[in-house]
Parts: sequence; structure tokens; C-alpha cells
Amino acid sequence: MITGAEWEILSTSFAVATRAILWSLPFAVAVAWALSRPRLPGKLLFDGLAHLPLILPPVLVGFLLLLLLGRGGVFGGWLDALGIRLAFTRGGAALATAVMAFPLFVRSVRLAFEATDRRLFEAAALLRAGPWDRFVSIALPLAGPGILAGTVTAFAAALGEFGAVITFAANIPGQTQTLPLAIYAVLQQPGGEAEAMRLAVLSILLALAGLALAGLLQRWAARRHAG
Amino acid sequence: MTDLCAKIHLAQGGFTLDVEIAAPAGGITVLFGPSGAGKSSLLAALAGLKRPDAGRISLGTRVLDDRDTHLPPHRRGIGLVFQDARLFPHLSVRGNIAYGHRRAPPRTRPALEDVAAFFDIAGQLDRPVANLSGGEKSRVALARAVASAPDFLLLDEPFAALDGARRRAFVRVLLDMHKRFALPMLVVTHDMDDAAALGSHLIGLKDGRVAASGDFAATAATPAFRAVLDRHDHGSAVAAAQLWPSPQTGGIRNVWLRADHVLLAAEAPRAISARNVMAGTVAGIEAEEDGSLMVTLATDAGPILSRITQAALRELELVYGKTAWALVKAHAV
Repeated sequence: MITGAEWEILSTSFAVATRAILWSLPFAVAVAWALSRPRLPGKLLFDGLAHLPLILPPVLVGFLLLLLLGRGGVFGGWLDALGIRLAFTRGGAALATAVMAFPLFVRSVRLAFEATDRRLFEAAALLRAGPWDRFVSIALPLAGPGILAGTVTAFAAALGEFGAVITFAANIPGQTQTLPLAIYAVLQQPGGEAEAMRLAVLSILLALAGLALAGLLQRWAARRHAG
Repeated sequence: MTDLCAKIHLAQGGFTLDVEIAAPAGGITVLFGPSGAGKSSLLAALAGLKRPDAGRISLGTRVLDDRDTHLPPHRRGIGLVFQDARLFPHLSVRGNIAYGHRRAPPRTRPALEDVAAFFDIAGQLDRPVANLSGGEKSRVALARAVASAPDFLLLDEPFAALDGARRRAFVRVLLDMHKRFALPMLVVTHDMDDAAALGSHLIGLKDGRVAASGDFAATAATPAFRAVLDRHDHGSAVAAAQLWPSPQTGGIRNVWLRADHVLLAAEAPRAISARNVMAGTVAGIEAEEDGSLMVTLATDAGPILSRITQAALRELELVYGKTAWALVKAHAV
């Protein structure tokens, strides 16, 4: 049913999206937590920065990444010295995907934190729990299902990244060629429509599965807060 | 001793809290006042949830707040039981109680099993808190606070969710808990029956100021405290031990006798249950706004107030220093 080349595309997509999401998870949680605090200094600036990739053209994000992290880029020398190559690699594809998925990721995790009853933090503080303790023992477990739902949503979105990935990591089969990049590639060839259609159906099925899973997790989260 | 002393100035919107209070380590201090008097703001300041604009809060020799200091809530050693239990929904009953216990100083904290046994929840430790009843939630919240071994425990209208018999039972739980765990306590309430049952000390709060404070019965008898009360609550605190032994009063500290529920007799009544009658001398007759009269009778059980009409006064021929008898209906207690 699914050809070897298609399996390769699928596995590249999953590998890139998984890496992207796992890398950005701690950052997304930290930024979402900070933004969910009512008295955060410089909140507007933070909020703006976190949402930047949503507003910039994806190609521009890819280009900025090249300027910063490409071999000749601002930090290219440092990365080279550490033996890290990002541009035109799978790691680079994951990074570009992570940056693009970040606003959505932060937004959904932040909603999970904001749904938590703030008065429980007061109760915890009066049981001698300090700020970090309260975050770990109250905020995280209560927001857990919501964070998971946000992670799945961000993962589903990460599977669809195109502009930033193709600009920063190119379209290398087996390396950086994810589903949308593969669809683009076959459409470039004469007579590639049939193959593009097969890939499109795969894409849609994956997206639907992701949304369904996120929906289930969201229901679980709601039940948890109702307790 | 860990007396809780505070001098607080706290402005908030159009409301200003300006108080100086002392809650002794021994005994239970009742913070009484109508809604809007500033009780919640005062508690929040004591707990460290709000920083006073000026003032000083100390617990024993430790300074919690002054011009240069503001200890955050988790480092004050003050516990607070909220009106709405605020149990952690992701933890079981045991998880909630252990939350406080785990973070308490090991030397001073009570054994978790003792706390569970005392609050009669040993059999429910593994239940999730979501489907506990209101009364059970209150008890778990209390148990959690006790297990965290605070140096001083604040309780914000802990009976608000309870009614009737469960409320009276809860008052007794608080009294027993105070004795059993030697916990200094400050209890907020706007119910005089609960206040009298619990309090050894009384602070009357009105419009953000302390109207009266000190020993419970003495403070409760002052005109300044009476100004805090609703007219129908005017009355006097009588030590429960001074009254007829009744299962209803067993264990509680004082009984609040409302002036409207006390009858006066100019002669010793005969055909009446003798224990309901207390002899005393008339120590005060004050005219009230609506023309009724508040008579203070000095008895062996302390001052007792009775509100009577002008006509009744003439008929009884009550004057200062004259002996009279106060009659209290059992159901008034």
C-alpha cells in the first residue's frame, strides 16, 4: 500500500517533528508559564517575541536562521567549532520546524496554565511551598493534560512546516524531505499529480489523527480542573 | 511564645485597613466583623498574601513584615484555612494532607496518622477529593493545615459551607483540635454563636478599624463592640460552665445570650426551671434609638443584657442596684 519511498518521507517527517517538539517543549513550558503570570515585567515584549514566527513569512524565518546559524552566519563559526552543522541537515529542519511551531505551542500550553485556579497556589504557599515547589507540585501536574494536548497540537502543526524548512534545510530526500516538501517535489515533476494526491491523503489522515488525540487530551484536562 | 502582633496600614481601592491587633498564642482569638469590615484583607496581610503599605507584623520574636522586611507566605510559618477548602484536585485526601506534612519541620509536626485519626478521615485517605461532601472537604482542609504544623493558624470563616448540627459539631472539632495540637488560632467569623463558642479573645472589626479588642466576655460586653453587631445580635457572653449543664453546650467556651432572648423578673420566679434563672443587680439601663431599653444585669456569671420596653421597666420598677432575675429559654442557647 505504502511504498518504500513514502515510508522514508513519513519517517523523516516524524523524526523532524518529534525532535522539534521535544527540543522546544521545555522552552515552550517556561515561556508559557512566564506569560501566564499576571505581573510579568516586559510581558508585552515577551509576548510579541514569542509570536513573531507566526507573523513573519516562513521563508523569511528560514532565511534569518541561515543568516544566524548558517556556515557563514553570525554564530556559524561557533557552531562549526563545536562540530555542529544545522543548515541543510535534519537537525536544521527540526530547528526551523521548532521555531515555526513555537507560537502555537506556547499559546496552547499557556491556556493550560491559565485554566489553573490561582487560589490553589496561595493554598500551597501557606503550606510552606516556595515558588519553584508550587510550579512543580501544583502548576505542572494540573496543567499536565493541557500541556500534553498542546504538545500534540504543536506536533501536528510541525508535520506541516514548509517555508522555513525548505529555506534553511533544503529538500533532501531521506534527510530533510518531510511530507509537504515531498508533495512540493513531486509536483515539480511532470505527471507527479497522482503521487502528490497519495501524499496529500497521508497528510490529511495524520493531521486528523493528531487533532483527535489533542481533543481527547483536552477533555481529560477539563475533567481534571473540574475536580 | 508565638503571639501574633500586627500594626497594619493597607489601602486598597477606596478601602483602608488601619488596625493594631494582638492574638495571644494561648487560646483562640475571634476576629469578628460584618462583611466589608476588612477581615479578609487583614487575614491576607497576616498570611503575607498582601504587603501592608506601612506597619509591622511579628510572630513571637520573628518579624514577618516591617519597613524593610516582607517574608513571603511560604516562609512565615503561618497556616491559613480558606472558606472554600481549596483542596488540590489532582491529589487524593492523603496527598492533600501529606502536602502540608512533607513540608513541615520534622521536629514539630504531628504524625500524619494522628492527624487523620483525629479528623476521622483515616478510612478515606485514598479517595479523590473531587467527590467529598462540603463537611468532608472542610475537615480535610483543616487536617492539611494542622499537618503542616504552622506556628499560628488562621481560619477564614471555616464554617461558611456548613449548616445547623454539622456547624455546631465543627465548632467542637476546632476546640478539640486547638487543645490536641496546641495550635494558636485566629478565627474569622460573622456569627456570634460560633464566636462565643470558640473565643477566649475577641477583636471587633468595623470599617477597617478595630472597634474593640481583648478578653472575650469583657470585650463583647463593651458598647464599642456592640456597635459592630447587628441589633438582633446584641447580647452577652456567658461562660458555658456557668449555665445549666446541657449536652448542647458540652465543651464549648461561652454561650451568646441575645438580649432579645433574655426575660427579666423583679422577683425570684418559682414555678420555673431553676437553672434557667440567674440573679443579679441592675448595673445599667440605656435607652436605645427605637425607645426600647437595654438593661445590664451584673450576675455571678458576668453581665447579662436584656432588652425590654419602657412599659416593662415601669412595671418591674427596675432601678440601678436593684436585684432582678434573668431568665433564658433553653432553645435560645
